[in-house]
Amino acid sequence: MPDKATYSPVLSGNSMSVTGSAYPNGNPDLPYNLPGVRNTDSVVPLHRSTPVIHDYKCDGPAPGRFVMRWTYGSNVAAKNRDPRIQVVQYNEDTFVLRQNVCVHWEAPFTYLLFGNSGALLIDSGATAEARYYPLRETVDAVITRWAQARGRRKVPLTIALTSGEDVAQNQGLVQFAGRPDTVIVPRPLEVMKRFYGLGGSWPSGRGSIDLGDRVIEVIPTPGTHRDGVSFYDPYCDLLFTGDLIFPGKINIGNDKDFVASLERIKAFIADHPVKWMFGGHIEMMFVPGRYYPRFASYKPYERLLEMDPALIDELLVYARAVQGKDTMLIRPDFVLLNGVSPDQRTSDWPSDVPNIIPPRPF
Amino acid sequence: MDRRTFLTSPAFAAAATFSSAAMAGIADAAAAAARPGPIDFRTNLPARGSFPDKWICGSPSSMDNKDPPVHVHWYNAHTAILRQNKAYSYEAPFAPLYFGNDRVLLLDEGFVQLRNDWDLRGVVDGCIDDWCRRNNRDPASLELVVAFSHLHADHFAATNQFADRPNTRYMGLTHEEMLGFWGMTNFPEQRVSLDLGGREILIWGSPGHVISEFAYYDSYTQILFTGDMFYRGRCYISFWQPWFDSMRRLIDFCDTHPVTHVMGCHVEISKDGQDYAYGMTYQPDEAPVEMTVQQLREAFAYAKTITKPGIYFTGTVFLCNQTRGTTTIDQYPYRYG
Repeated sequence: MPDKATYSPVLSGNSMSVTGSAYPNGNPDLPYNLPGVRNTDSVVPLHRSTPVIHDYKCDGPAPGRFVMRWTYGSNVAAKNRDPRIQVVQYNEDTFVLRQNVCVHWEAPFTYLLFGNSGALLIDSGATAEARYYPLRETVDAVITRWAQARGRRKVPLTIALTSGEDVAQNQGLVQFAGRPDTVIVPRPLEVMKRFYGLGGSWPSGRGSIDLGDRVIEVIPTPGTHRDGVSFYDPYCDLLFTGDLIFPGKINIGNDKDFVASLERIKAFIADHPVKWMFGGHIEMMFVPGRYYPRFASYKPYERLLEMDPALIDELLVYARAVQGKDTMLIRPDFVLLNGVSPDQRTSDWPSDVPNIIPPRPF
Repeated sequence: MDRRTFLTSPAFAAAATFSSAAMAGIADAAAAAARPGPIDFRTNLPARGSFPDKWICGSPSSMDNKDPPVHVHWYNAHTAILRQNKAYSYEAPFAPLYFGNDRVLLLDEGFVQLRNDWDLRGVVDGCIDDWCRRNNRDPASLELVVAFSHLHADHFAATNQFADRPNTRYMGLTHEEMLGFWGMTNFPEQRVSLDLGGREILIWGSPGHVISEFAYYDSYTQILFTGDMFYRGRCYISFWQPWFDSMRRLIDFCDTHPVTHVMGCHVEISKDGQDYAYGMTYQPDEAPVEMTVQQLREAFAYAKTITKPGIYFTGTVFLCNQTRGTTTIDQYPYRYG
């Protein structure tokens, strides 16, 4: 945002605000009444007699942001008393759920999006047992509250995975078996392609999931997983990229597919407004190029979930660089592992990245 | 004269000029008035004991783990083995606690530092109280010696919990202080003995995983405690030649001394040889912590054939020769052609 005469973010004295926002007290140079107001619908008036038809049209991304930090486990996992699932409202129609690091170290993110005719759950977590990870119960409760606010009896639910084969994202599916008004995108790959209408056009085509005035686009993105897909939400301008692009150690399953999928994402971003990319996990620390090891149950210095879409350029450059090589490559916001163990380490530190030793919680 | 007698009163210190046998006699005589006769740790050896069928080994969801922070197993009436809970630290080290007539030796203090996170000191005090009750002793009459196998944080993290414990000595966190603690002047070859009061512990150097590591042999149970240089999992060999020499020293020892079990600090392998990757917090089908002398000999025979860095499976343990920084055993499971 421009630094205008009426207000200097630098002089705000509040650079330590939780979000690092340049305008912790609001930007006085913007108008008071912004068009995004019309995308707010849950509260007033209170008791409606007919279902609310929400307006999913907006100029630019729908308003919404995170103003908190993610739960990050604890030094002694057995003593962790954080919620098993952290539920965060991004905006009225978009929720992010994070699995507790001390229930499963992968601590995957699960996204719940609402439209006028249904809801979409993207991914399902790393733990099947509901007593450890009550995903169904939590999703049902969020849907119930949302439905009450919008005056709806039924909210059909679709469950889609960024990868059907990924055990860090498909384990919660079993909890939804037999749930009424629920469609689970079928597995494996061939059946999934047909479901999305991509039988003849995988991976170049695109599918869609219509939530009612909010049509989620399905982009085939194999590369880390054979059956990888990404989802684009044109309402919030968010791209959900699962294991393909996330701030962590990206294990490449097939480098040719990986590069092709990144090229597809890059072309997509060139054609569509994208505010942020959200991946399925966080493994990087907020120190550039540093990451948590596998199985860590205490990650107090995690990087943010949000990735700038411009990151795709850097990703593509380095994905091409590792193509055809069994190697590990460190960048500030991600690490690429091609053909090597998920525990691979390297002594090659990139010369253009500041080498900062992160604090150790121990 | 060795300094490992840990005599605290000036009168006993004077006795240090006698032979160790005479010294033990004086110590016993002085104590006899206050407590029952000494326990005999020198005949009917080895003292029998048993390992549990199953140790606590973590859980699928760590925050739902209801096991105690420390699994205390009494190998026999005078020997406890402690294991840290995997939901408290993935390293989950094993720690022997040896009781003698005069003192108690704790080897290793786990990978969690603070007492409010895990009360190792309370657990050790509980073991000492149990033992004293069974043997009609006063816990205050026993000295606690807090030492560790080697200079890595997952083996000494809780040491400071003992800083304000009376009648307690603990090892410093440098190579020099570790050697000084055992009175060594010729590491690693020199073998010293620690008298717990009728129960002798033999200690010598065992570098290779790290420089600062000891092997401990308990003459009562005849358990050889090999720390992290040889355990049922991935033996990370940082320095090959010192490690190989340390293995030879262990083999030489086994040639001349009876050994019932060889015991390391961790288990990272299943009963059927599956590797539990570094950092895992649930090992449902864990192999036993104890190994046989034969397994040690086989590993040494295998090691003789190793000429370059890499990961080698001896049938019992993985020998990770100078690989820690760059290689592991796992593959990415979703790779496709």
